[in-house]
Order: sequence, then structure tokens, then C-alpha cells
Amino acid sequence: MEFKLEAHRIVSISLGKIYSARGQRGGLKLHKNLLVSLVLRSARQVYLSEPGCPPEPPPAAAAARPPEEEPAPRTAAWAAEPPPPPPQDEAGRDCQGPRPRRCCCGEENRGGCAGAPPPPHCPRKRSAGERGQAGSPVKKPRREEEEPPPPPPSPPGEQEDMETSNVASLISIFGSSFSGLLSKEPKGRRRPPLDGGEAAAGTAPAEAAAETGQICCDEPVLRTLNPWSTAIVAF
Amino acid sequence: MSHKQAGGPAGESAADWCLYQLNGAAEFEVSEGIARAAAMQASPHCPANVPQPSSEEVTSGADIISTVEFNHTGELLATGDKGGRVVIFQREPESKNEPYNQGEYNVYSTFQSHEPEFDYLKSLEIEEKINKIKWLPQQNAAHSLLSTNDKTIKLWKITERDKRPEGYNLKDEEGKLKDLSTVTSLQVPVLKPMDLMVEVTPRRIFANGHTYHVNSISVNSDCETYMSADDLRINLWHLAITDRSFNIVDIKPANMEDLTEVITASEFHPHHCNLFVYSSSKGSLRLCDMRASALCDKHSKLYEEPEDPSNRSFFSEIISSVSDVKFSHSGRYMLTRDYLTVKVWDLNMETKPVETYQVHDYLRSKLCSLYENDCIFDKFECAWNGSDSVIMTGAYNNFFRMFDRNTKRDVTLEASRESSKPRAILKPRRVCVGGKRRKDDISVDSLDFTKKILHTAWHPTENIIAIAATNNLYIFQDKVNSEMH
Repeated sequence: MEFKLEAHRIVSISLGKIYSARGQRGGLKLHKNLLVSLVLRSARQVYLSEPGCPPEPPPAAAAARPPEEEPAPRTAAWAAEPPPPPPQDEAGRDCQGPRPRRCCCGEENRGGCAGAPPPPHCPRKRSAGERGQAGSPVKKPRREEEEPPPPPPSPPGEQEDMETSNVASLISIFGSSFSGLLSKEPKGRRRPPLDGGEAAAGTAPAEAAAETGQICCDEPVLRTLNPWSTAIVAF
Repeated sequence: MSHKQAGGPAGESAADWCLYQLNGAAEFEVSEGIARAAAMQASPHCPANVPQPSSEEVTSGADIISTVEFNHTGELLATGDKGGRVVIFQREPESKNEPYNQGEYNVYSTFQSHEPEFDYLKSLEIEEKINKIKWLPQQNAAHSLLSTNDKTIKLWKITERDKRPEGYNLKDEEGKLKDLSTVTSLQVPVLKPMDLMVEVTPRRIFANGHTYHVNSISVNSDCETYMSADDLRINLWHLAITDRSFNIVDIKPANMEDLTEVITASEFHPHHCNLFVYSSSKGSLRLCDMRASALCDKHSKLYEEPEDPSNRSFFSEIISSVSDVKFSHSGRYMLTRDYLTVKVWDLNMETKPVETYQVHDYLRSKLCSLYENDCIFDKFECAWNGSDSVIMTGAYNNFFRMFDRNTKRDVTLEASRESSKPRAILKPRRVCVGGKRRKDDISVDSLDFTKKILHTAWHPTENIIAIAATNNLYIFQDKVNSEMH
């Protein structure tokens, strides 16, 4: 249990670092962000595999659950800055499509972790993400890019793929002011990496679904979070 | 000059180090943007052996020294700072008239190497901080050095002018044309001495070679080429050609999401112009031979030590990332620094380092806090002495450590105004980790993590070291060294 708490704490710290790295002078430091994402991934794995998590709901139910369902009480667990009111245009744009609360499903580390009511993301932590968004004019064009329609829900079979594949969860962070943290980037939705994204560094391949600048740090989201994809793609 | 050779049988940690010089403003607290000087010094790196009476000044962190490098003879010492400035110190030659000034490093030249730039395409500011300076071997009267920030490398030529021609026929002293009627005879202009003027000019600008942040540069022993490394690529340049470079290492994966390691440092072999090494964030070293192929993605040798499973933690990967790699002067060994240790590798042995020294193992239990306050990402450098018998690296609390490879003794010294009176021998410091505490020991919890010594340099032949502590430059000499003068 202690490990779980520590892992939890490390995950929050890591996310905080990734967030604050955005405003850094000189641009994102690839090395540091890679290391942070490594730590994030390890901590997440520990967190998810530690016993003591609430029991997982059946996969089918999870998938079927409508997006609007209320998020688990996890929010409380995540200390963070009070979220500023979300911008109008994003209010509705919620956990759409394939954010399968796969939570426990498809996740190799079942460990009975809780997704409790696998709440599909939902506007948990807008917080920093939002603020960041509002502040910088630079980000606006990017957001516009990401306006595209919500991704088509992916077939259930793909869930596992997405889970284990390089979901661009963190990519979005860099591309769209943290909206990406909610993850769930359907594989199909991802824009092919542009020539290593070099030319578009900073304007990360907008993971469309990722608009909403929310940081969902709850259990299910954690599972889908693939730190790899990471920041790096932002370059 | 000193007759004592570095690395004599007595061993360097037996050497008595004393503060020779301290340049820089009195220490102040440096936070991200604003710092306040306890005593004011107008310019950075100006000699300040005695703190001035207080007057407060708010300065930015632009004075923070970001790199230190001796030239090949040790006569010149260059420092780069966060504000993009380079300050070059020159050692005073021996003189019988002023025995106490011998060997002193005085400011020779100061110039602005890099300015902040803005990348419009990526909406990113490019920092002007000087990441590395490397001297070119001297080939004529001028000195040259390469300095780099995150994106652009510049070649600077430093020349002296200490004579000027006088006695022109057509122009007068001020350069105005003379009235021809006043010219009654012809004279040959003569060179007359003038006050020394040091001129620094940018001779080459190597721009647009890197997408990622440049972390190291290294001049080849062929004196014609050099390499620059960023997080994912290494480029080979010719010193005379700025519009193109050859990419010799590219570890960028096709899909950036598959990225698992980055290049952290690189260096050419001191003697073999075809060999170079680069270190990675995973703690491995790769020795590459440029004769093997044009693109050296495939290493010739891979130096990697298997991880000790008992030390596994969330932060194992971070602390194994190599922050600096240096070939020994002999070319036989490589020195690497990771967060907690320095390791000596034999080029002939890939499986593990031949020597491992703990720099501050007491931090191992504090990794989580160090991660929180970002200290775990600090990149410490390491250095060899001239004879490769002693290695040095920095730590926190303005401590730096030296390890004698022969005697296996090590010492911890501190670079601080309070504990260093000029010419007084530095007292070894000790960090106590619980258990018996001696007087003057400092406990791990009292260490000041904002005072870190990341950049150190050792004179190529003598026992003189330059230590950068935030915005101050300390020069220490072995007492025997200075007594010889």
C-alpha cells in the first residue's frame, strides 16, 4: 500500500513537471521529459499493479457505459489546483469515442485495480491545462487545428491494441495545452508523425479527441496513459 | 612555472589545495529569474577577493557560469554563462618582479557570444546560455574557440594587438589626411607598442544543424573537423565550412513514441581521429569508428554495466543517465559521471567499468525528494588531471570531490568564500550519514541543494583547478604548485 501511495505521489509530481515544462524558456527539454515519462510509467505500473485497488467491473459494461457517466470519487485523491471553468467550446466535448474506460479491461495489470465506476474520464482536472491554454496566444492556433470532429469510436477489439500500443496520451499535452492528458487517443485518429514532427515541433500532432484540456488522473485514465508517446512527439 | 608534475608519486589527494583566486560577485541567492546580490560587483567574474560593503542589487541569473574550459596549454581559461557571455582569463607569466602575481588568471577578454533568439516556426525562444566551449589547438598567434548554445555553434578568433604603426606619410596621428604641402620628407612607418587590445571576432557560424538541443561539442585531433551532438543526432562539421555538416549518428526512431534513450554527451578520442564516444540517458557508452561507415548508428563497442537489481527504484533510470563523458589524456580510458557515481572505463572492456567511485551515495535514499525539486536532473561534469591519476567531479553544497586512482583515497572540498581564505589550505569536508558525527561534519539534511558544482576543469598539466559555483569562479592551486613561484 505504501508503494501505491508513493507511486501515486510520483505520478502527480511527474505530471506536474510535464505540465510546467511547457512554459519553459528554450523549449521542451527532450531528455528531461523522457526521464520524467519513464518515471511516470514505472510509477503508473506500480500503482496499477498494487493490490488494494477497487475491483474492476466487467469489460463489457465498461465499454458500454455512456461517456457522461460520473467519474469516480478519484478526484478527491488527486490534489491539484482548483480547475478553472472550462471554456465553452469544450464543455461538451467530453470523453468521446474510444476512451474506453478500458480501465481494467485490456490492461495487463489487472491486479483487481479499481476503476471503480470506470468513469470515462470526464472533466476532472482541468486545472493547469486550462490555464495554460488560456494564457498563451501561441496555443490558440493549435487548438483550432484540433477542432476536428470527435473520433469515431473504435471497435472493441481495438481496445487492447490501444492499450498496449503507443497511445499518444502525452503527445497531446504538448500539442494542445495538456488537453491530451485525458488520453484516449484512438489509434486511427492519430496523425501520422510528420517527418518526425520536426517541422511541427511544438504543434504536436493534434490528437483530436484531446481537446478538452482536462487532466484526468483517475485510475482508468492512468491505465491508458502511455508515457512513452510522450512529449517527444511534440518535437 | 611549477616544476611539480601533476600526478607525482605522492598522489594528488595528498596535494594541499588552496584558494588561489575567486572571481565573481559575492554569492547571492539565485532563483529562476531574480537574484539579489549581497554585495555588488558591477561586472561578472571580476576579481573580488573581499566582499564589498553591502549595497543590494537585483540581478538575473545571467551570471551563472554554465561551462569552464582550459585551453591546451592551460594559459587561457574560458567560462561561458547563462547570459550568453564568454569570459576568457589569461594566466600571468612568471615575473621576478612580482612574485605574488605569478600564475594569476586575469580577465583577458569578455564578449557576447550568443544572444537570445526566437524560432518563429516553433514559437520557441532559443536560450543564449553557453552550453559548451571548446578550444581549438593553437596554430598561429591567434587563439580560437568554439562556443555553442542550444542550436548554434560559433567559432571565435581571439587576437592581440599590442603594436600599432606610427609615422604614416599621408595621414597624421588621428588618421586625417595631411596637407601635402607639409610633407617634406618621407618616413617609414614604425610599429610602436600600444596598450594591449584583445580583439574577438566571430569567424564562423554553424547554424541550423540541429533540431534538438546541442549538449556537447568536441574538436577532432585532426584539427580540421569537430562534432556537435544534440539529443538525437551527432553532426560532423569541417571548421571552415558552415553551410553543411554530415550527420554521423542518428538515434531518432521512426516513431517518436518509441523513443527510449537520448544522447547525453559525446567526445572525440584524443589521438585517433576516427574514433568518438557518445553516452546515453540509459547509462551506456558507444564507441564509434568513422571508418566503418558514413552513418555510425551501429557502434563498434558498447559499454554497459548491468543494473544492480537491489538498487532498483522508480528513479533507477534517471540516476543511471550519463551526464558527462571524458577520455583520459592517454586515450586508454573514459570517465563517465552519472547522478551518484563516477566510473572509469577501459576502452578494451565493454562489460563493466574498471573503477567506480561513489560521489554522494547518501543521496540514494533521498531520490524522491531530489526528483521533486528537480535536482535529480542536474548534470554534473567530471574531469581528469593531467596525468590521469586523479579524477574530479562536483556535488552539492558547493562541494567537489577528487578521487586518486592510485592510492584509492578521496577527498571532499568546498568552494565557498567563508571557508577559503586566499592561500589557506582547504580543509577536507565530510558529510555524515547518521552514526558518529565529528565536529565540522555536515549532515545530509543540511546540505544546500541550490549550491551545486556542475562545471569543473583541470589544468592540462598542472595542479590548478577551476570550479564554477553558480556565478563564482574559484581557482584552486596545489600549495606546492604556488610555492614554487
